[in-house]
Amino acid sequence: MGTDPVTNTSVAIIDARQWQNQFDLKSGAKSDLTSDAIRLMRDTLARHPYPGDLEGGSNRWVTETALDLLETYQPDFILLTYAEQYFTSRVANLTEEEKALIMLELRLEVETFIDRSGVTPIIVGRGGVMPTQGFIDISSLDGLGVAPHWSARYAGIHEPTPRDLDWLQNHPQVARVVAKESYQRLFREEPQEPEIFSDYLLVAQPGYAFKALGCTMRKPAMVPAAGPELPCLGPDEPVAELTGIRQVIDTGLRQGKRMALILLEGVGVEDFPWSFAPCTNTLDWFCYEPGDAQLLAITSGRHRLHEYPPGYLFYVREHRNNLYPLSGYFKALPGGTIGDDYLGRSIAVGNKSMAMHMVAGADLCIECFSRNHFNQGTLGVVHRHDKF
Amino acid sequence: MRCHYCEWRCDLTADRYGRCRMYYAESGEIRERFPDRWSTYETVRIESTLFYHVHPGSQCLIIGTSSCNFSCKYCSNAFVAKQDPALLQDKMYHLSAQRLVALAKKLNCASIVFNVNEPTVSLLSLQRLAEQARTAGIALGCLTNGYCTPESADLMGSIFSFFNISLKGLSGQFHQQYIGIPSVAPVLRTIRTLAEHHHVEITTPVIEGVNDHELDEIVAFISSVDNEIPWHVLRLLPEDRMKGAAYPSIEAINAGLETARRTIPYLYFHNFVGSDWVNTLCPNCSTPVIERFSLGCGGDQLQQLKLEDGRCRQCAQPINLYEGSYGN
Repeated sequence: MGTDPVTNTSVAIIDARQWQNQFDLKSGAKSDLTSDAIRLMRDTLARHPYPGDLEGGSNRWVTETALDLLETYQPDFILLTYAEQYFTSRVANLTEEEKALIMLELRLEVETFIDRSGVTPIIVGRGGVMPTQGFIDISSLDGLGVAPHWSARYAGIHEPTPRDLDWLQNHPQVARVVAKESYQRLFREEPQEPEIFSDYLLVAQPGYAFKALGCTMRKPAMVPAAGPELPCLGPDEPVAELTGIRQVIDTGLRQGKRMALILLEGVGVEDFPWSFAPCTNTLDWFCYEPGDAQLLAITSGRHRLHEYPPGYLFYVREHRNNLYPLSGYFKALPGGTIGDDYLGRSIAVGNKSMAMHMVAGADLCIECFSRNHFNQGTLGVVHRHDKF
Repeated sequence: MRCHYCEWRCDLTADRYGRCRMYYAESGEIRERFPDRWSTYETVRIESTLFYHVHPGSQCLIIGTSSCNFSCKYCSNAFVAKQDPALLQDKMYHLSAQRLVALAKKLNCASIVFNVNEPTVSLLSLQRLAEQARTAGIALGCLTNGYCTPESADLMGSIFSFFNISLKGLSGQFHQQYIGIPSVAPVLRTIRTLAEHHHVEITTPVIEGVNDHELDEIVAFISSVDNEIPWHVLRLLPEDRMKGAAYPSIEAINAGLETARRTIPYLYFHNFVGSDWVNTLCPNCSTPVIERFSLGCGGDQLQQLKLEDGRCRQCAQPINLYEGSYGN
């Protein structure tokens, strides 16, 4: 980012329907900064109130908001996330017909955006969902079981007793119990906060979800399949792995193309509504769930599992500082993402809340502000004021 | 036999479970159908539980069970509060009181807060929890609708050290139509009883055009009980049977709180992200002494605590805070 303090100030604008407020994204302090980009953001948010995760029209909101920003800001890199199909499938077991209809609507929505924007798209399904087969309750173990970040398939166990380990290793629905040294070696990069890592990483069999500290109260009807492959439709050669997606975008941008990375939540190889090439969703045996770590791998082009590892002591990190109050689990801007490194204009729009404005690094980011499907409105973030 | 936990005073038998479907009677005793079954356990900062004046910035363990004795049209936890509790049991955690207290200690929680559904539907489990918490010196708090009997209010007072009582309105018609109870009188009685000896905060969800005209009357009631009771006015997010209703206007509700702000010192208006009205101002010199960030229903968080020994740093005015441990 630039050196001018104003261009370095990330500003968050909340639109809670007919009412807006503005904050410094990092500190949460009220902000009265003004810039053309902020004015543009405020106007855009006012024109596009969020209809809600489950009320219909959520994906349409992404398309319309993005097209609006496209016209007014003229970006060359666009990141979109479409999540309505994921919300719908999480809370109810859908019939094949219902699922097919939802995927058809999604396809039309994405194609509308592509047709009207003229972008070169790379479309990635972040992995499908499958009916919940059952839960693995680790709340009664002597050690502390933790499963934050809406994780289903992964959990951590901290300070387990031999009895805990014996129980876990013999549990028919626990696929792996991996010691810290082993999974840290797999995650490659040096951990900044090793004390928050679990002593063992637990992996459930597909379809099973852990019940532990950090789980949502609403138990999902469907859970992420977290399979080894993601469907990917790109402009040129097939993309072999999820960390290769970034390179396709970078190359397109260098060639002067207007590039759009379109991420589809809850869409796997079985549902992807276009022909595609499979792209690996793995780091060795580890399959990504559609969480923050997967998003970072896509937008950074490298594996960053050490930053938000599965089963970590999330509350310890939360207690250490109160920075980025609007950014969920994120306590620092990740940096090194596509939008961060791109010198031209960029935007991100999505109905997957919290993570978008952190992982895209785009100049202007708009996302819904929903928590557990309660519709609080929208969040606009201006990371860059100097490109307008 | 008659249940004496809440004002419905349901007739219980071995297979009649009362309005909340959580109790039955056997051998002349009221028993729980689902003892020590919890819908959640989670550690959060206490500001996200609707307690602004209890151990600010501290970590707490939140818990809940299932079911409720109200049938609010706008219930935000209907998936737990309104479901038949028997159908939820496969999703519940079975944790003993000892285990919950051990977890609270492990997680460095200053308190345990029951904040998902109505505690009067699970008082026996909560009594057991209180016994363990007392030994560990951990305070218990709860969010309650206050629709308990006088004897049950005493019992609640022995279990919990701090309360947030929901005062949803004042008129009988409102309570009949939107809450499903005949009268608010038991709630007002509970507030008076508990506020005598315990830390009490009060919450009022506002439905524009329905109960917003009562704000001045509500604050007059609160002031008559104790002028220092913190009052949380919430912008209601219409859920359950009111889903689809218009979101109340932030500006209109805020304008309606003008008189109330002159009446009591600790008034907060939130349940929407980015609220400007979540800081505690010194009642004497108006200096912000506790600054918070509002995340709406995602929970609020402490930003800055500018107190010295519970007093304003500018003028030494004491601020109404609960900072005790169990029973203090």
